Amino acid sequence: MSDSKKIGAVMVVGGGITGMQASLDLAELGYLVYLVENSPAIGGTMSQLDKTFPTLDCAM
Amino acid sequence: MSFEPKILGILCNWCAYAGGDLAGVSRIQYPPNMRSVRVMCTGRVDPVFLIEAFAKGCDGIWVGG
Amino acid sequence: MSPKLVESGRHPNIKIIANAEVESIQGEAGNFKVTVLKRPRYVNEEVCNACGSCVEYCPEIMKDYYNENLVEQKSLHIPYPQAVPASYVIDPISCLFVQKNECRQCEQACKELKAIDLNQAEEHLEIEVGSVILSPGLDEFNARRKKDYGYGEYPNVITSIEFERILSASGPFEGQITRPSDSVHPKKIAFLQCVGSRDQSTNPYCSSVCCTYAIKEAIVAKEHEPDLDISIFYMDIRTHGKNFERFYERAKNEFGIKFIRSRLADVERSQSTEDLILNYVTDDGKHHKDEFNLLVVSVGLEPSKTAGSLAKTMGVKLNEEGFCQTHEFSPTSTTKEGVFVAGAFQSPKDIPESVVQASGSVSLAAGFLSDVRGTLVEEKELVPEIDVEGQEPRIGVFVCHCGINVAGVADVTKLKESAEKLDNVVYADESVYACSKDSQEKIKQLIEEHKLNRIVLAACTPRTHEPLFQDTIREAGLNKCLFEMANIRDQCTWVHAHEKDAATQKADDLLRMGVAKARKLVPLKEEIIQVDPKALVIGGGFAGMTAALSLANQGFECYLVEKEKELGGNLRHIKFTLNQNDSQKLLDETIERVEKNSLIKVHTQTQVKDVSGYIGNFVTAFSSEEEETKITHGVIIVATGGHEYEPTEYLHGKHGDVITQQKLGEKLASGELESSKFKDVVMIQCVGSRTEERPYCSRICCSVAIKNALKIKAQHAKSNIYILCRDIRTYGFIEKYYRSAREEGIIFIRYDLENKPNVSEENGELQVSVFESIVGEQLVIKPSLLALSSAIIPNYNKDIAQLLKIPVNEDGFFQEAHVKLRPVDFSTDGIYVCGLAHSPKNIEESLSQANAAAARAAIPLSRGHVAAEPIVSSVDTDKCFGCGICEYLCPYSSIKVVETESGEKAQTITASCKGCGICASKCPRQAISMGRFTDEHILLQINAYMEGLKNA
Repeated sequence: MSDSKKIGAVMVVGGGITGMQASLDLAELGYLVYLVENSPAIGGTMSQLDKTFPTLDCAM
Repeated sequence: MSFEPKILGILCNWCAYAGGDLAGVSRIQYPPNMRSVRVMCTGRVDPVFLIEAFAKGCDGIWVGG
Repeated sequence: MSPKLVESGRHPNIKIIANAEVESIQGEAGNFKVTVLKRPRYVNEEVCNACGSCVEYCPEIMKDYYNENLVEQKSLHIPYPQAVPASYVIDPISCLFVQKNECRQCEQACKELKAIDLNQAEEHLEIEVGSVILSPGLDEFNARRKKDYGYGEYPNVITSIEFERILSASGPFEGQITRPSDSVHPKKIAFLQCVGSRDQSTNPYCSSVCCTYAIKEAIVAKEHEPDLDISIFYMDIRTHGKNFERFYERAKNEFGIKFIRSRLADVERSQSTEDLILNYVTDDGKHHKDEFNLLVVSVGLEPSKTAGSLAKTMGVKLNEEGFCQTHEFSPTSTTKEGVFVAGAFQSPKDIPESVVQASGSVSLAAGFLSDVRGTLVEEKELVPEIDVEGQEPRIGVFVCHCGINVAGVADVTKLKESAEKLDNVVYADESVYACSKDSQEKIKQLIEEHKLNRIVLAACTPRTHEPLFQDTIREAGLNKCLFEMANIRDQCTWVHAHEKDAATQKADDLLRMGVAKARKLVPLKEEIIQVDPKALVIGGGFAGMTAALSLANQGFECYLVEKEKELGGNLRHIKFTLNQNDSQKLLDETIERVEKNSLIKVHTQTQVKDVSGYIGNFVTAFSSEEEETKITHGVIIVATGGHEYEPTEYLHGKHGDVITQQKLGEKLASGELESSKFKDVVMIQCVGSRTEERPYCSRICCSVAIKNALKIKAQHAKSNIYILCRDIRTYGFIEKYYRSAREEGIIFIRYDLENKPNVSEENGELQVSVFESIVGEQLVIKPSLLALSSAIIPNYNKDIAQLLKIPVNEDGFFQEAHVKLRPVDFSTDGIYVCGLAHSPKNIEESLSQANAAAARAAIPLSRGHVAAEPIVSSVDTDKCFGCGICEYLCPYSSIKVVETESGEKAQTITASCKGCGICASKCPRQAISMGRFTDEHILLQINAYMEGLKNA
């Protein structure tokens, strides 16, 4: 296919920490990002964590 | 009347100030004696700020970061 | 992580479609048409400002899924306090209106803002994209499937994720550790590892993260209640992540957490006390019985429940465990072109690895779409700024009711009236919701009408709302820095809800402090620094080459500097992988691609001599035998690598039959060893790792030993192989090779640091003796070959660290900016890290990380500039006398002393300054000032507070 037909947007499916990081990097690189999340809010499993290993930083 | 201390908070935008906001979001109640000044990092705090506040009548200062 | 949440929610190039799923995909890589089903939320997320006034009117109750169903919440709820989109949602299953067409109370509660929209219906959105990244994440293993442990039946058996919520200060019990049966604080807690992991009846793979999270939870619990008695029952402790081993040691030594290697027979429930009785067998074959008040089952990770149908819809294949199928040498590519994968859907992994893979997959997607980069994003055109220079401050004050959030506690009218009396305040007003679209339009009009040149808003927190209002005033022509917020909601009315007068007084003080600062606000320019769109990659090993290729794929020129004669680094010594993939072919192909790529300039036998400059504008000198070269570039990727430790222990170097695993691998590939050497092979694990001298775990040695052992078995079926180990750390899908090794008859013998194996030589014959705990005696083996699983140590990191002024950790590996959230960045902007220089890792992990570093490095390169927020430091050169304290203290290397016409003076590197102000507070001449946070500003705020006291 010819490059001219390519679309400068990316869909990221899943808005946990992985999806957010991917979206932010893509957005900063100049791509339009559609971040599709199954639940009513992004954040994923990490948003449920109290602290993180090994620094015991607050996960939030 | 009981003593009500006047407390100044100098809070880091990224942690203690954010913690203050989270206390709000979580509706955690605490005494209303502190007024906070937001800074980008508690490394910003010059001892002069603290001396000035005490000199003007502040009873306690929390540098949170 | 909340900065990432907020940023994702606010980024103009990110459209969040929540409460939605992919229905179908058509087209091909580069040009997909995706249909997304957006389920009704019944709240307009564009309008809802999460004030929460509606909640008390909602009569229906449902389980709080964010808190693992431990408590209840309203049917109309916000998923969690920091949720993005920051909007409420109505659960259709419990909502009275959705189910029975009754109620509608919430609509009444929100009649001002009209955010509730009970007429919302499903939407089918058609979206065109060039590429897709799948990151559906994980679900926890359902512990009910392991009936022996009693979860779901015995009340005091809970899962680790439930315990996580219980520990959280913002959790269901405000961080109080209580147990479900009687809400009493437990005194004795047990953790049971590998529930739903490493188990043929459920999931054969290792979930990789449970050991670490269990240790974390145990430590956090001990911090809450130091007298807690905590035991962790395990098979192997797998703390193979960077810096994790030290934490495990701390858990044992500092926190007194007990680690019991055992097999659990069953869990009984005491009917009278609701305690749990654990029957287990330890290594020495002894049976034990112990009673606990609470049992936490450390549940494994499974792909998200949505992942299966998502894979089907997308047309990508899954592996036999139900995770996304990928290849060892392309871990973020799915089986469908243009569709990439990252995170726990690829394999069970922790946060830093997920973040790394996210950026890694971005580098592939961006490489694929580099021709159309920037075609769908647009920059906003702005009106010219009004010049306020020399104008008397004309301050406009807006006090936000935030519905009843502020107004229900503080006397807003009184606040407005007292603001009106303050000097320079020419206009003050109230607003029900200052953030609503019409209020913002009104603010813009009022700026024009009253010629306002400073705005103070008393409302919520600047951390979430300042950028919104700054944009608003900028649209009216005011510089963004002429804005100040007083936080009278989050840090006032919300936390003093029952003290109305005191809250009003506090809000009044905060507002006066804001106005005091606002009088002295000055417009500041966002500085734009041009970026030289070239990269320097230091280190031509596999990670360095991969990073260079990824940058070149995205269209950027790069210099690849290698000190050795040939490219390839450590990968040159790895002849095959555990999955039996040909790593030498990978190496050859990678070198060929690098050498053929016209954008990559390779300099071998070259060392970096000097680096100066900063993000966007580095100048580097490097030299080889022939020549000295000076180049300019915008970013640096550090991939200086690592190598196998040369052991001095266990007769290595003294006896020819004692070799390292890497050497063994090479000899197995070349076939140079005679078969008699394989008669009795002993392997010793953790040689030079997890010791006092080198406390970290080298992560890959267990898999390397098993890789070599299996290779020997394949070549010499009769070989007797003994692996002397401490914990076997075959995390993730590598676990299956551990299983095959045991099935192949390879014998694993445990030793601990107190009873290390002893290696001696008698008449040229090797002899290994080790204490065998099952039989309880010393075992003597006379091996024909002894292979040492030797540590991975970093290469010459310290020199590079000094040149670049970047930190190394106590083990000599480079220290990234943030362990979880910025795993490939340094705190100094424009410098990134990958590969063994960061920590020990295998090929697959190095590859992801190298791609990730390239994606991160490509950000400034592709923008062509970096913009510095105007909070940076500035130096008054008349006052500065060049002492250099600021340069010494700056954590970001963002200020330095330079020679000028009037002597040595400090100079801010605006491009990377973070505005922390350490330099300003420590400057002995008070020559450094911080944008928007000057000494004067802070002192004025303090004084405004104190003056209020006098008047009170």
